Amino acid sequence: MTTTMDRPASAPGQSRRSKPLIERLNIFTALALGAISALVVWQLALHFLPQLPDGQQYFNREDKITLLSMVAWFIGFMTGIGALIGPFRWLMGKDLSHDENMFYAGKDLGVKRYFRYTTDHKVVGIQYLVMTMLIFFIGGTLAMLIRTNLGHPQGGWIHPQAYNSIVGTHGIIMIVGTIIMVTGPFGNFIMPIMIGARDMAFPRLNALSFWLIVAAAVPLIWGQFIGGITTGWTAYNPLASQAPLGMDGYIMFICIFAISTMVAGANITTTVIRMRAKGMTWNRTPIFIYGTVASVALALPAFPVFFLSQIMSAMDRALGTSFYDTTHGGSGWLYENLFWIMGHPEVYVILIPAVAALMEMAPVFARNPLFSFNIAVLGIAGISGLSVLVWAHHMYMAGWAPLLNAPFMLTTELISIPTGMLFLVLVGTLWRGRLWVTMPMASIFALLWNFMIGGITGIYLSDVPADAFLHGSMYVTAHFHYTLMGAGLTGALASLVYWFPKMTGRMFDKKLSWISFWMVQIGFNVAFMGMFLVGLAGQPRRVETYAKMFSRGNLITTIGAYVIMAGMLVLLHGVISSWRHGVKAPMNPWQAKTLEWSVANPIPLENFDVLPVVTADAYGYGKAKS
Amino acid sequence: MSVETHAHHEHPDVVGSRNRLGVILILVADIAFALSMLFVYFYLRMQNVNDMWLPKATADVPATTPISSSTGYTITAIMAVGLLAHFYGLKGIQAKNQTQLKLGGQVALILSLVGLGYQFNTIASSPFTFNSGGYASCFYLITILNFVHIVLTVFIALGNWNRSRLGLYKADHWHVNIVNVWWIWMTVSSLLGAFALSFT
Repeated sequence: MTTTMDRPASAPGQSRRSKPLIERLNIFTALALGAISALVVWQLALHFLPQLPDGQQYFNREDKITLLSMVAWFIGFMTGIGALIGPFRWLMGKDLSHDENMFYAGKDLGVKRYFRYTTDHKVVGIQYLVMTMLIFFIGGTLAMLIRTNLGHPQGGWIHPQAYNSIVGTHGIIMIVGTIIMVTGPFGNFIMPIMIGARDMAFPRLNALSFWLIVAAAVPLIWGQFIGGITTGWTAYNPLASQAPLGMDGYIMFICIFAISTMVAGANITTTVIRMRAKGMTWNRTPIFIYGTVASVALALPAFPVFFLSQIMSAMDRALGTSFYDTTHGGSGWLYENLFWIMGHPEVYVILIPAVAALMEMAPVFARNPLFSFNIAVLGIAGISGLSVLVWAHHMYMAGWAPLLNAPFMLTTELISIPTGMLFLVLVGTLWRGRLWVTMPMASIFALLWNFMIGGITGIYLSDVPADAFLHGSMYVTAHFHYTLMGAGLTGALASLVYWFPKMTGRMFDKKLSWISFWMVQIGFNVAFMGMFLVGLAGQPRRVETYAKMFSRGNLITTIGAYVIMAGMLVLLHGVISSWRHGVKAPMNPWQAKTLEWSVANPIPLENFDVLPVVTADAYGYGKAKS
Repeated sequence: MSVETHAHHEHPDVVGSRNRLGVILILVADIAFALSMLFVYFYLRMQNVNDMWLPKATADVPATTPISSSTGYTITAIMAVGLLAHFYGLKGIQAKNQTQLKLGGQVALILSLVGLGYQFNTIASSPFTFNSGGYASCFYLITILNFVHIVLTVFIALGNWNRSRLGLYKADHWHVNIVNVWWIWMTVSSLLGAFALSFT
């Protein structure tokens, strides 16, 4: 049993003593312990932290109290869910027994396993799927509040401070949602089976990465009630140092999420490098695996930088240090550098797995081999490599290092070459194929259209003179929505429909998938074309009111946004109804050749009775055209 | 994809190698974190915004004087000796010598505790406050994060010693190898911090 081989078995007596505690812990104990810990620490901090004399920095004491309470929440929650049992059992020399590992894997636990610290990668995949849908539901609701407010030039029905917070929260929630939308559900559920493994390399770290996100969500929600995130999702300093206490929720959220990303990155990368089936050479490894690994491996060095920037932000707020305070030797540019060193690779952390998922589907629905596998791999590697060398194009107008503008313009524009390679692979695969027009297949065309617009408008923004005019306008907002949503989300929704039969054992309702697809795509293009128009005309982003000359474009965008919302609700209905009452899925409904389609529904706990040996690549649908 | 099947068994070496890679990858994240910290230090030092890297004396506040660089190197030396002690234990278990493993682990644990105490004392007795300019901010950042690193080291060293004491490494000792990787990185990261702080 692979899930138990990584630690020696303990004596039966030892396991029997601690088993009841493991069985008692679940999301409810976690929430309770987290809440109690936060309350206790809050009261203690209120009581013991000295009041500052008048004139000293405003938020120091309150920030200390808030941050300490949030840290207490985090520790309490992780203890209550059972994340610390493994490390402490290791410390005591009482390793988990086979039975305990099976319990952790969710064996015979039914629905309860979804509410526990379950290590089975399939359970974690489903947990991520539900979490992603919840994030998009909340983030989408906030988007609709923004668009409704912008439906009229005077806005008005949301208080400006609340509006700012809605914009910031929408931004950060959606960024996190899009980061996990492919690698979370499909990277966890599908990837290990696709490479012929019984589980992830570190099943407990897998559960940890998911529950860390749950733990992170609470401070973010908490922050909404103590002033919100009024700085936009970038939380630029020194603005963030002066923002209300809600900023502490953002800081905690990012710190915990960064840990989750690092853990997931190490876990997924190790799984792919060490646990591929016998015979699955790198040339026979499916392209989706490359996309997933590139994404998490890119996040591995990028997110610690963001993590550090937030620790420094917390220290400035709570301890009075001066990393970003220019009057005391700090620098706002320092924050911008740290933020964008993470911020730009993060775009590709989002995009690459979504595009790779569509590259995985293209051969299946075109019944053609993947066009130039090596170019696809080179494209992914090229984007990943260049993405860490482009961060300062976000800072052209900030005045930081003007001499570096030209080199950064060059590296940014160079990235269009590997991106073009991925386009070439997709078009080449579809070329003269026998197209099976399903919703995932149509999503490939949608991606080509949306990503082309997102990519070309990005070239203008990477150009220093053009950026001088477009920077900070709605044009930028439209551009990144075309890449992250038009390309990224399109890939994620196609992945949902494509892998739904394997994940749930039921087919996704075909009619609903099509209705949703067209509504989302039409609504999306209407919404963000309207946004491009007002951006080109000069409307700044993140504004609550605007001049009347922008009202037509904004109205178009708001109408488009409502169509997207309706389409997403149809999709949600499709997910729920298909999961509950959908047609039972055969083992391989798409006649695909990757390994996940070779296991029966429902998938056994350890995926394979005996591990497979791979003797050919996954794209042998016919002779490759060149 | 053609599929054949074969029976499946995993050797502890395979599991050990997998765990080692996982730890190294997590260390990649930690290394990125440490390097960013150095970037922060040298960026603020070179910018010296408003001449506030090391603020001069005013009527109310004395000048900020940097901590002696020997402090950081002393902690690094303690951790380096801890690493050597752990390595001595590792060599012992490789030669099937349980006593050497236990002794090395015990000394490493004691040294990690000494390092922890010393680092705490350095932070607590610093002659400036959090808002004493850029250098002070960076000093606290580096030393506090090194303190957190040493806390983790104490946890790991305690577990390692306890497990050695219980004889859990008789069959295979890949855990000890991985703890060694951590000790190496811990010493290097401590050295990086000390190196940065020596540039005042």
